[in-house]
Amino acid sequence: MWLELELVLIILLGIIILGNNRLGTMIQLFALQSFILSTTPLLIHPGKHAVVMAVVTIILKVLLMPWLLFWAIRHASIRREVQPLVGYGKTLILGGFLMGAAFLISAKLDLPVQETSNLLVPTAFSLVMIGFLLLVSRFKAITQVIGYLVMENGIFLFAILLLEKTPLLVEMGILLDIFVGTLVMGIIVNHINQEFRSASTLNLTNLRD
Amino acid sequence: MGVLLLVGLPLLMAAMIFLVPHDRQRKIILLLTSSVHLIVTIIFWQRPHHVQFHSFLGFDALSQLILSLISILFFVVSIYLVGYLKEKRRRSNRIFIGCLLCLLAAMTLVTLSRHMGLLWIAIASTTLLSAPLINYFRTPQSIEATWKYLLISSLGIALGLLGTLFLAISATSIKTVFLDDILNNAASLSPAWLKLSVIFLLVGYGTKMGLAPMHTWKPDAYGEAPPPVGALMSGALTGCAFLAVFRVAQICFAAHLQEFVAPIFILLGMLSLAIAAIFILGQKDFNRMLGYSSVEHMGILVLGIGLGGGAVWASLFHTLNNAFAKGLIFLVSGNLYQSFRSKKIENIQGVIHKLPVTGTFLILGFVVITGFPPFGIFYSELLILKEAILAQRYVIVFFYFLFLSVIFFGYARIILEMAFGKPSDSPNKETKKEDFFKVVPLVILTVVLFFSGIFVPDALYSLINEASRLLGGR
Repeated sequence: MWLELELVLIILLGIIILGNNRLGTMIQLFALQSFILSTTPLLIHPGKHAVVMAVVTIILKVLLMPWLLFWAIRHASIRREVQPLVGYGKTLILGGFLMGAAFLISAKLDLPVQETSNLLVPTAFSLVMIGFLLLVSRFKAITQVIGYLVMENGIFLFAILLLEKTPLLVEMGILLDIFVGTLVMGIIVNHINQEFRSASTLNLTNLRD
Repeated sequence: MGVLLLVGLPLLMAAMIFLVPHDRQRKIILLLTSSVHLIVTIIFWQRPHHVQFHSFLGFDALSQLILSLISILFFVVSIYLVGYLKEKRRRSNRIFIGCLLCLLAAMTLVTLSRHMGLLWIAIASTTLLSAPLINYFRTPQSIEATWKYLLISSLGIALGLLGTLFLAISATSIKTVFLDDILNNAASLSPAWLKLSVIFLLVGYGTKMGLAPMHTWKPDAYGEAPPPVGALMSGALTGCAFLAVFRVAQICFAAHLQEFVAPIFILLGMLSLAIAAIFILGQKDFNRMLGYSSVEHMGILVLGIGLGGGAVWASLFHTLNNAFAKGLIFLVSGNLYQSFRSKKIENIQGVIHKLPVTGTFLILGFVVITGFPPFGIFYSELLILKEAILAQRYVIVFFYFLFLSVIFFGYARIILEMAFGKPSDSPNKETKKEDFFKVVPLVILTVVLFFSGIFVPDALYSLINEASRLLGGR
């Protein structure tokens, strides 16, 4: 019951991020989504493993990564996404279609793991697709990073499903890798900004054949 | 113990790098670490080829092959860097050398990991560690290349993670994703999830390898990275990604999914060859051309795996020779770039007159990489052609031959023009001398190419045999 409520909230937050153009709000929404996400292991597989996972997720995804992203936009002094490749309304409709597709795919695949909620797999697929959509349809480097992180949140839901079977060490390694990835991306965003005086990837079009 | 040294020493030395105050001492540390790594790797050859050190770490013939390749190439590149980093620069080489050493540790970990999750972690780390290396010059172009590389590779890596998790779901009855457990109990994997997982893993690790259509970062990254970094990426890093793809193929093979996965491999391979053929023809930038050349060779590798049988052997042999050949030609391009101050082909003319030694190696690199008869690449390309003919897949044979010929002509036009063209009367008549550290690595790589392609020692031959047997080769 609680789990389902959380999953619905997570999808809704994904959709709201997709329809937003203020970078600060997007980062806050991402932090909120990660916070809700970090409590799901406790509901699915209560135990020591889940507690460690939840704590590490909160530290990395709710505190450190949003802080890093805020640092990057402060340095780059950007507030809003420029006019995106596909309009906001269209992106939202597309997002809705992708969610429908996610539910269809999940209905086709029967899970060999015993399932705690039949919303879990569709939510995970939806988040991956929404993140991907965000990544390919926006120009600001920061929005692309947020898209990548939303996608990663979807993957995290799959990982929770397998929490008992994957060694803790591996889970931690995965989280750490994602964090360092965000760190490196943040630094490069800063370089882009210093070099081009704007962190829009529209400037990055010199290399082509 | 040895394993700890292989992974731990580069990490420890990377930490040392940050304490050492002078650029010169850092270069010595780099050189020492790579020599020790090479020596330990050579000692490992005395052991049997299949050893399990720990539940997560182990060694088989494929690990040994790729590890040796990485170690040799890294050693050669570190010698080259001693000369290359001599150029006066404002920034210290702290981050650059630190990242290089960590990259060595991560690549070693890729070859040693026996757990699909650990393999993913190691591969993801190689991406992150190589990004600062590409951005060495910090020009607008190199930032653009780094951003594209980071974004596309991270996306690929994320899909790879998804694939790994799907693999774990399909392996619910086994409860682990240790490679050996999966291979031994492949029959009990759930087929639907396994197929989904294989597709995601191939797209993910294929992005890392630079297979078309996920290759778009490659010409940019190879074009803008410092040439020694390009040598490492096109030789060692793609070797790591190839190892991951090979592991996926192993799982498919064990689960009797060859018929499902072979067409995917062949399609990716042919597509890569086609893209390379199209873009090499009109190329104006030497290093970008090398990027497309890498796409071509990665295509040949997966084509070999897709065809199966003797072609797997050819594929492994090709990995080795391609890595050293790419290393050679990238280091040559480093010499050219530092002398001519340009990467545009029209500005690099008459190399053989201006830099006789480098010019000779340029011709040699051309001969090796396009597959002229005495060298290893000729042999492996021919072997793959033979397998395709034996399997009576004439469409593949036709296009394979067509694409390779087009690529050959594209190459020949560019390199012969560079080597023998009329030198432009540039204002700086005196080009830099070809000093010791810029020539010795080229000589070493030539010797290595000789032994990996022409006079193959028995030990290497049997190692490749054993590795190809992992995929049911001969």
